[in-house]
Amino acid sequence: MTHADDNATALAAAELKTLLEPTPLPMLDTSKRISAADPLHTELMEFLVDEAEMLDNLQFKAWGATLAEDLEYNAPLRRTRTTRQQDQTVVRTVQHLHEDFGSMQLRIMRVADTTSAWGEDPPSRTRRFISNIRAYRTEQANEYLVRSYELVTRSRFDFDDFDLIPCERYDILRRDGVSFKLARREILLDQVVVGTPNLGIFL
Amino acid sequence: MPHIPILNDGTPLSELINHDTREVAMRTLSDEQIYQVEMKKIFAKTWVFLGHETEIPNSGDFLVRDMGSDSVLVTRDKDGDIHVALNVCPHRGMKISTHDSGNTPIHTCIYHGWAFKPNGDFVGAPADKECMHGKMMTKQQLGLKKARVAEYGGLIFATWNIEGPSFEEFLGDAKWYFDTLWCRTIEGMEVLGPPQRFVIRANWKTACEQSASDGFHTMTLHRWLGEVGPYAKKPDEEGKGGDLSPEMYGSEVWTDHGHTMRCIDLDRKIRRITGKDPSALSAREKLELLPPPGITPEMVPQLLERFSDEQLELMSWRPPQVGNFFPNGLFEFIYLPQPDGTVVGAMALHAYIPKGPDKLEFVNWILAEKDTPPELKAKMLRQSVQLLGTSGMVEQDDSDTWPHQTIVAKGAMSADITLKYQACYETKPPSWPGPGHVGDGFTKDDTQWQWWQYWYELMTA
Repeated sequence: MTHADDNATALAAAELKTLLEPTPLPMLDTSKRISAADPLHTELMEFLVDEAEMLDNLQFKAWGATLAEDLEYNAPLRRTRTTRQQDQTVVRTVQHLHEDFGSMQLRIMRVADTTSAWGEDPPSRTRRFISNIRAYRTEQANEYLVRSYELVTRSRFDFDDFDLIPCERYDILRRDGVSFKLARREILLDQVVVGTPNLGIFL
Repeated sequence: MPHIPILNDGTPLSELINHDTREVAMRTLSDEQIYQVEMKKIFAKTWVFLGHETEIPNSGDFLVRDMGSDSVLVTRDKDGDIHVALNVCPHRGMKISTHDSGNTPIHTCIYHGWAFKPNGDFVGAPADKECMHGKMMTKQQLGLKKARVAEYGGLIFATWNIEGPSFEEFLGDAKWYFDTLWCRTIEGMEVLGPPQRFVIRANWKTACEQSASDGFHTMTLHRWLGEVGPYAKKPDEEGKGGDLSPEMYGSEVWTDHGHTMRCIDLDRKIRRITGKDPSALSAREKLELLPPPGITPEMVPQLLERFSDEQLELMSWRPPQVGNFFPNGLFEFIYLPQPDGTVVGAMALHAYIPKGPDKLEFVNWILAEKDTPPELKAKMLRQSVQLLGTSGMVEQDDSDTWPHQTIVAKGAMSADITLKYQACYETKPPSWPGPGHVGDGFTKDDTQWQWWQYWYELMTA
C-alpha cells in the first residue's frame, strides 16, 4: 500500500467511527459549575431522584414523557487497559445501549404495553441510588450538564443475591417549563463484563 | 469403542440420554462432573470460535479470549499471521495478559518477566546470562502452549486437537451454507467494534442447545415481537395479534457435527415489500429486491460471481437466518422491517463461554461487510444493539430463561426430568439445493436433537 492508500484507509475508518458513534459529548466547562447551594442545583437533583422514583416504581410511561425528542441515550462498552491507556477504556462504536427517542419509546412500549416482555415480567425490584451530583451551565442557556453516580440494586424472582450495577452518568437536562427534559445521557458502566443478565431495565 | 463416563454416583452418562425417545436428562445441565468432562472432551477437542480477524488488524495486536475454561491469547505477528496460545506462563502459571486486548510485540509476564513472541515462542527471561529458566529445558520447550488455528471468512477458530480433523472436516456439510454467510464478498466482513460481554448465571448448554435452531421458543418467549412496534402483526393480516407462527415456516438444516440453521422463507417478505410474486422472479431479481443483511443491490453482482446457482437459490428463497456453530457459537443474519417500509439487516455472532456449570459469559459481536455503505453499517449497528445482546429487546427474554433451567436441574426429582426433542420432521422440501439433513415446513426439534447427538458422540469418544 502507498501512503495515499494508507491515508484514504485512515480517513474512511475515521468517517465510519463518526457514523457509528453517537455525537460527541458536550465539553464540560468547570468554570460554569453550579454550586450545590444554588436552588438550580436542587431542581436538577430533584429531577434525577424523581426519575429514579418513577423507574423504581415501574412508571415507565411517565418516565418516557420526560425524554426529549432529540434524545441520545447510550451505554458504552468498557475495556481493561493499562494506566497509560485509560483513554482507550471507553468504546462508543458498539455499545450496550445505543438509543434515540423512538427506540426508547419502543423499549417502553415493550415493558408497558405487552403481556410477554418476559425479561422483565415479573419485573425486577430495583433501587436507584443517585449521588455525587455535579452540575454545570453549558453553551445553551436552557441546558445543564449534570454528572451523577448511580448504583442500581436489582433483585429478580426469589434469588437471594442482588445484581449491582454501578455507573456514572453524564446527562444533559433541558429546561421544560417547571421541570426538565432529558436530552442526553451517557451511562458509563464500571464493569467490562456486565454482571447482570441483561439491561432490560433503564439506567 | 465408546468410552462412557461414569458419574460419581455410578450413573453412566448413557443413562442420561435416550436415543429412541429423543430425551436428555436435566441433570446434564448442571452437573459439576459432566462440566469437567465437557471442558476436556468438547472444548479441548473441537474447533472453538474466538473472534474476528478485523479485531486484530495490525502487527502485535492481541485479544484475550476463552477456549472453554482456558484463557488464550489471540495474536497477529509481524508477518500478519494469526496465532492462538494458552495465556498461562509456563514458568509459574501467572496469566500473561490481564487485559482484554491491546498491542505489543512481546508479551512479558508481570510476575517474573518471562517474555514471549506473539506466536508463543519463549524469547527469554530477565538477566539472560544468568539463565533464569535453568538448563533442564530448552527455550523451545518453554514456549506458550500453542493451539492450531483456522481462519474462515475472517472468523478465527482454534483447537487443541493438533492431529484431529481439519476445520473443513469439522464444518462438513454446513460449509456449503456457511459460505453464503461468511464468504459473500471479496473484501469480507468486519466487526463494528469490540464485542458486548455480560454474564448469565446459567449452564452454557441452556444457551447452546437453544442456539441449535430452536424455532418453537420464538412463538412464546419472543411473542412481544408480534404485539407492538415495527414487527407487530396487523389485525387484518395472517398471524394477527402476536401470533408469530407464520414466521415458523421454511426449512431447517442439521449436519453431523451439530452445526444447524433455520432457513426461513423470504417469499412473504418479498411479496409484502415489493408487491411482486416471488415465484415469477429470478434469484438475481429477488436478491436485488431484498438483499441479504449487509448487502446492497449494488453488491449483488459479487454474490452472483461467487456462488453456484443452487447457493443463489438458497440465498434468495430460504437463506440461513439463525443457526449455530457447534459447540458454543450462534449467528444471526436477520431481515428487520422498518417503520418506513424498508428492511435493514442485522448480522451478529454470539459465543456462550462456559464459566463453570452454573455460569456463562455471553459475548456478542456485531458485524457488517466491509463494502456495506457506512450509513447502512450505522443503521445495522443500532438495530442489532436494540434487539440483540446486552440490552436487546429480543435476547433479554432468553437471558432470563436459562438461569431457571439451570437452577431446576439441581432438584433431586427435577434432575431426572427430561428435555424432549420429539417433534420430528416428516417431510423434506420437494427440491432442496444444498447438502446435509433437511426438514421442510413448520419448525421442528431435529436440529437441536442433532446438537445433543454430537455432544454425546464427543462426550463418549
